[in-house]
Amino acid sequence: MMRYARLFGLFLKASFLVELEYRANFAARAVVSLFWAGVTLTGAGVFYSHAETIGGWTFNEALVIIGLFTFMSGFIQTFLQPNVQRIIDMIRLGTLDFVLTKPVNSQFMASLRHAQVFSMVDMLLGAVIVIWACMRLGYAPPVLSLAQFALMLLMAVLIVYSIWMVIATLAFWLVKVNNMAELFTSVYDTGRFPVTTFDGLIRLVLTFVIPIAFITTFPAQSVLGRLDTETVLMAVAMGGGMFGFSSLFWRYAVRSYSSASS
Amino acid sequence: MVRKYLALMRLSWGLSLEYRAEGFIWMMTNLLNVIMLLVWLSISKAGPVNGFAQADFIAYYMIGLLVRQLTAAWTSWELSFAISEGRLSTHLLRPIHPIHQEIAINWSEKAMRLTILLPVVATVLLMTPGVRLNVTPPAFVAFVASVAGAWALYFLADYCVGILAFWTTQATAFTNILWGLKIALGGILAPIQMFPPALQAALDWLPFKYMLAFSSEIALGQLGDERVLFGLAVQWGWVAALWLLMRWLWKLGVRSYSAVGA
Repeated sequence: MMRYARLFGLFLKASFLVELEYRANFAARAVVSLFWAGVTLTGAGVFYSHAETIGGWTFNEALVIIGLFTFMSGFIQTFLQPNVQRIIDMIRLGTLDFVLTKPVNSQFMASLRHAQVFSMVDMLLGAVIVIWACMRLGYAPPVLSLAQFALMLLMAVLIVYSIWMVIATLAFWLVKVNNMAELFTSVYDTGRFPVTTFDGLIRLVLTFVIPIAFITTFPAQSVLGRLDTETVLMAVAMGGGMFGFSSLFWRYAVRSYSSASS
Repeated sequence: MVRKYLALMRLSWGLSLEYRAEGFIWMMTNLLNVIMLLVWLSISKAGPVNGFAQADFIAYYMIGLLVRQLTAAWTSWELSFAISEGRLSTHLLRPIHPIHQEIAINWSEKAMRLTILLPVVATVLLMTPGVRLNVTPPAFVAFVASVAGAWALYFLADYCVGILAFWTTQATAFTNILWGLKIALGGILAPIQMFPPALQAALDWLPFKYMLAFSSEIALGQLGDERVLFGLAVQWGWVAALWLLMRWLWKLGVRSYSAVGA
């Protein structure tokens, strides 16, 4: 375990050093992030100029969701996108062999080796929005809510990670999985809004099939201290289950994989 | 010129046939229109918002989907990569400006997408009670003129952004921001009538709403004759201005361009 933590630290450091070579990227990244945060916040302002609440959430409460949305898209861009893209390419080119022959867990190595460190700007921005929202609400989350929130956030991370890993693993059999990643990204856009904005079947899909609700709405409810225990248990089952499935799926895929080069 | 275009289009049509499935998934990424529609339906549940009843939102976003597909452009990615990787040199040697090839690709992709999208939009519009569309011949002519203008406007703006790659390595950041402005101010995030009056007045003169919302407003019969003519004048004025800008930037860029490896 310690060894893996140290390795992860090394991966981060190496990625950071690589990105330092392209410092102009950082400025561009920061400008684009601020721009999109502005678009999202302005949009919310426009929606809420026509309604007191949307899906039962007031403007200030919805800001918590927007903050979490921004934070999680930063997480996806920092850790998931760069690695998933590389996994897909490695499977196609046969260079995955170099990962499989390393004396560490292959999923760990393949999925965490690279980080687009500059995209952490979005994670930071998201955290700032959440804190700002709490200040506007005049609300300081009690310790118990914060602990629950930490758990919910961890589960959200596991769920997003697992979805992306399953998409990447599908590349062992399918050619154009990039499109599926695109598709997830556009469904993820619903995470800007409370899941209660949507009705019936769509809400069901966003809760259980493509569980965007567990990524933004439920963690936001948890910060605000109004999440029931059943949902927390469901999140733990969902996060654990999906992570377990993605690992098993990866292992199965690697076992049945014969590389392009051998 | 017509013969050249036919040849170019036959080539590109073959390409888009080959990647049919990709085109389909690409269209799914237009999910944002559907998401925004659902959000506005949720907001307008209690009653019409600024004159928009639920059926009006459905009609607005369905026509918007069609217009968005008809006017989509993504040339700047290709162009900025061609410039930074030096591949542009081959294109410069041909006896025809590279923009024509890009236009041909753009048009044949559209033909492909329309064959899928048109039946879907028509079905939804026919099945929704209370949809009001202006289908008189003059409105139809104005609609077609405005869609052509919207296409030219966004295509040229996007091309100008692509040309920036002659000077900067961050052209894709500008592409992203241009696209974001179209989403936010062009009528996807919200119909223009939902914005505060001061912003609406400014948008009359800015190019963004003429990239999308203007055409939908004509189709829904929301604009009087005078407003339609004024809009078309502003829109085509921007097209002319961007055309001149594109020519000028291109000349400057090619002069300063020395491709890697050439």
